[in-house]
Amino acid sequence: MEKREFIKRLFTAKDCAVNTNRGKAYYDALYKKCKKQLDKLEAAKPVKNIDLQEELKTNGFSRRTFLKWVSATTAMLMLPPTFEPLVAKAAELMNRLPVIWIELQDCAGNTEAFIRNDGPKIEEILLDIISLEYHETLMVPAGYQAEAQLNNAAKHFKGKYILIVEGSVPTAENGIYGTIGASGETFIEHLTGLSKNAAAIIAVGNCATFGGVPAASPNPTGAKGVMSVIKGKPIINIPACPANPINIVGTILLVVLKGQIPELDSLLRPKWAFGYRIHDNCERRAHFDAGEYVEEWGDNRAKNNFCLYKMGCKGPMTFNNCPIVRYNEAVNWPVGAGHGCIGCSEPEFWDKYAFERPIADANIKAPAGGVESSVDQFGLGILGLAGAGIVTHAAVSAIIGKKSKSKEEEKEGDKDE
Amino acid sequence: MIKSTYKKVKRMTTTMRFIHWINFFTIVVAVATGLYIAHPYYQTFIAVSAVHKYVMAWNRWAHFIGAILLDVTFIIIAYLYFFSRFDKPYKKLIPNRANIKEFVEVLLNLVTFNRRKRFDSSQSDSFNTVYFTILHLMLLFMLFTGFQLYVQGLESGISSIGSWWPLLLHMATDWTLYVFGGNMGVRIAHHIGMWWIIVWVLFHIYYQVWRTIFWQEGDIAISFGGSKFAKADSSDA
Ligand code: SF4
Ligand code: SF4
Repeated sequence: MEKREFIKRLFTAKDCAVNTNRGKAYYDALYKKCKKQLDKLEAAKPVKNIDLQEELKTNGFSRRTFLKWVSATTAMLMLPPTFEPLVAKAAELMNRLPVIWIELQDCAGNTEAFIRNDGPKIEEILLDIISLEYHETLMVPAGYQAEAQLNNAAKHFKGKYILIVEGSVPTAENGIYGTIGASGETFIEHLTGLSKNAAAIIAVGNCATFGGVPAASPNPTGAKGVMSVIKGKPIINIPACPANPINIVGTILLVVLKGQIPELDSLLRPKWAFGYRIHDNCERRAHFDAGEYVEEWGDNRAKNNFCLYKMGCKGPMTFNNCPIVRYNEAVNWPVGAGHGCIGCSEPEFWDKYAFERPIADANIKAPAGGVESSVDQFGLGILGLAGAGIVTHAAVSAIIGKKSKSKEEEKEGDKDE
Repeated sequence: MIKSTYKKVKRMTTTMRFIHWINFFTIVVAVATGLYIAHPYYQTFIAVSAVHKYVMAWNRWAHFIGAILLDVTFIIIAYLYFFSRFDKPYKKLIPNRANIKEFVEVLLNLVTFNRRKRFDSSQSDSFNTVYFTILHLMLLFMLFTGFQLYVQGLESGISSIGSWWPLLLHMATDWTLYVFGGNMGVRIAHHIGMWWIIVWVLFHIYYQVWRTIFWQEGDIAISFGGSKFAKADSSDA
């Protein structure tokens, strides 16, 4: 029966589209649900006494700028304009959301991307608004004090806090490659301990999601992403190197708004951000289809914004919204700046995507490890071996091979003998 | 008067030969365009705007059409393997004693440079049937990995023929992502698959020419005229 149900579900599933228009009834119901969730949050005491509007004013943002941001964000989250007041409200209520942000094996790049700007952005202000209970890079306390704060927060907000994880988990040799605090707690213990009582886990950056650069071959520390270590908890992956702050804020907003995890793809990435392929939204795509490629850094074709495919752009196999939302207040994005996409939002990106050559020249390893060659070298290699075998067989056949005879010839041969 | 000591043996029907040559030309096209897609190897200095040359787009188009033709012939061949009214190749694939013996004998014939030949060479043999089946399995592999690469461009879930199409492709090919390690892994597997097919073709052509020369039975004619010539029994003569 169960199997039949499953098959039925498979074949009656409407489609796999990122559905951006689900009809009035759906949005009305969702609106009510979100409203209820926000009312509930509003009734709760803010964990942190910062008011968003005041904070915006001190940083020189007008109400109008904020509302512009709200409508852009609402659209980005694939919600109809009627949701704008709710999104604005959710932003204001973010001070009700306790967040613990831990860093494991990483470079703090995702944090840096958040806070290094030409001026504070609305996203960054929101980072101030959420009740960031613990964040190694940003917090004032250190050492034992920091540890005490973490323990307090974890106890106080038990079952309610969002755990944001940045950096991979070194798992080799029981995790001795990464420890934290005076007790020498390993990162695995640190992470599993905190995830037990988290409401949800958000892994940001490629390291926390898929292992990232630390997991690159030969991966000496046995680095893994959070989802390979923690089971049985809702996990949202926001990969990229670094994760786009807008994708982090958007996802947190959605969590606040709906009180649940947004729609995810098979790699646990929110569909609203990672449902697009770089290549299909790239401004150089016309040059790709035309067969016009940059051949060398800085050549004439590069100066004319030709496609970067031959310089190793991995846009055709990478899912992210960079060409749409861009970075640094939508100023630019990697391909716009003249370098190919290195697939930083995909698993194993450092080994399989981040090289400046097209796929035929991608390096692959022999199964036993060690020897490395490009895909085409490997192909030509097996072709060469087969060719050599054939030539040898042909040569020996010519020398000692025996041609079959017809019955007539055989008979004549018999007579000859 | 010298009596004819050869008799004509029909080996391939018109349909089979038709399929054979469709496969041949589509594989050539798929390889030529596939190499371009994996590493655009010629420059397009046509002095018109991008929209007119469309070189990569045409290459990809030809690659898809070739692939779809191969997929159609694959299905027909799979059907014929079991239900052909002519020869049912699956019979030569069953690992029973006779087939294994024949397989070994044909192999020995090849490695002894035709000094040993102890099987009936007039009919299709289990060695070649196994060899042909390997090609069809490789084409099936290319079908699954290829469609996975194709559906990556339909990430909207929308297609001109309806959203069932990308959904079907996802259901049929998403497993390749797990087996070969992500989008790039599938791409590399698909590209290496091409090299194995080229190696297959190389040996196939060589072997059929070799048979023609050493067996003296006109094997190469099978794919053109549909029949070869086998030594007639002395009783027939
Ligand atoms: S630059 Fe990259 S993403 Fe843009 S069209 Fe070329 S291959 Fe695609
Ligand atoms: S363009 Fe590609 S490599 Fe660059 S940030 Fe976007 S996904 Fe990452």
